[in-house]
Amino acid sequence: MRRSLRLTAGVASLSLALLLTACGGGDSKTSTPVTPPAQSAPLVIPAPSGANFNVLPCLSQLVAPGKTVANLVVPDTVTIDLNAPSGFPNGRRLTDSVIDITLAALFLDLTREPVTRFVNLPLGPQANEVPFRPDFPYLAPANGNATLPPFAASGFNFRTDAPAAYTRVDRMGMPAVATVVIGPNEKLNYNDGDPINDDKLQYYPEINRTLKAFADALSDDFAAANLKMCATPN
Amino acid sequence: MIGLGKAFCVSATCAVLVGAASFLAVDRGLFAADHLDPPGRTDAAVDPNPDVAADIADVYAWHTANNVVIAMTFAGPQPASRAPTYDRDILYTINISNNAVPFDPEFQIRFRFGFNGQAVGVQFTGVPGSTGPIEGPVETNLVQGPVVVRAGLFDDPFFFDLQGFKETRSTGKLSFKNDRNFFAGQNDTAVVVQMPRSALENGTNPIRIWATTARFGGNI
Repeated sequence: MRRSLRLTAGVASLSLALLLTACGGGDSKTSTPVTPPAQSAPLVIPAPSGANFNVLPCLSQLVAPGKTVANLVVPDTVTIDLNAPSGFPNGRRLTDSVIDITLAALFLDLTREPVTRFVNLPLGPQANEVPFRPDFPYLAPANGNATLPPFAASGFNFRTDAPAAYTRVDRMGMPAVATVVIGPNEKLNYNDGDPINDDKLQYYPEINRTLKAFADALSDDFAAANLKMCATPN
Repeated sequence: MIGLGKAFCVSATCAVLVGAASFLAVDRGLFAADHLDPPGRTDAAVDPNPDVAADIADVYAWHTANNVVIAMTFAGPQPASRAPTYDRDILYTINISNNAVPFDPEFQIRFRFGFNGQAVGVQFTGVPGSTGPIEGPVETNLVQGPVVVRAGLFDDPFFFDLQGFKETRSTGKLSFKNDRNFFAGQNDTAVVVQMPRSALENGTNPIRIWATTARFGGNI
């Protein structure tokens, strides 16, 4: 455990301690001040009567050797082991079905379901509508015939202002983290933050709250489809 | 008026863009990879003056035998007829950590857009493997030694049933369809950076990548 943390709720403290264990090491020497996030209203998703699940087992389960689901979310970065094959969650290729894999990691018991369960169904679309280019720049050409700017080889008036003259608008690491597990009232704080704030588990209460809302709501559908959830009844 | 005043758009199409953005704001909702997030700054359904140019859509990163490639998409998804979004006042940063401290970037690739009349150029600094700034016109491969970069308009590479997610969230019932891709046929403005992996490798440490955008003079 790398640092002490104070939470008011005992349950949250226990969950946080377990998540910290799952998250691995960190370093506070480069800490940057960020305004603590305001308490947000929980995301409301219609759920079956009595559904009340604990999502901590989802965050602490292994998605790859030595890597928990929490490791994918905290800190919020795309991570590449250059000595392992490329493919989500080891990096993110253009062709990877990242949403179906992410949803499986967040909601299914990966000891009883493959992380590819939703890919294999498939749950969502599994490929781009047009092929990617095999060589640089890899992305597919633009659709339609949008008007492009005229050409000039040089003479552009780039700003020379230091980064401190700019104000943060957006940040992104892993797909769907900021959009799915961070609720609407935490969005600005989250996007003003950095991975160091993720590492301090500043957003953990919101992540837990949002995942629980989805797990409670979808528990009956998962059961009906015989899908084994990682969340456990409280 | 949406936040396109300082962005590139061909004059005849600017009025059309406003209408198109308003339509999309109603249709898109809050979830994608990172499109329209944070909604309070980038989604016209929430913010009457969304910062379209600074809205990150996705970050892709993968490696090959010799290279690491990072693609960052933004200002989308947008209709195929819409011009790319180039805003001189946005600073885009791709952060890369390659040591044991996962949130402290050892490399910061920064890029910005500039104008020469109506022509648009892009300037990259800090690309691992480069020897200095790389700048030149958009829609052009810019090569410096082993590094290749490009900015331009591309197909939005993300594929997802956005409607299914919105229905799932509003009803609590799994409602995805695997033959429904909201992002099909739409575009993003984007950059692609290809650099030698030897410039990033640091023993067995993984590399971690995240992107940020920031606006000169404060949020609009």
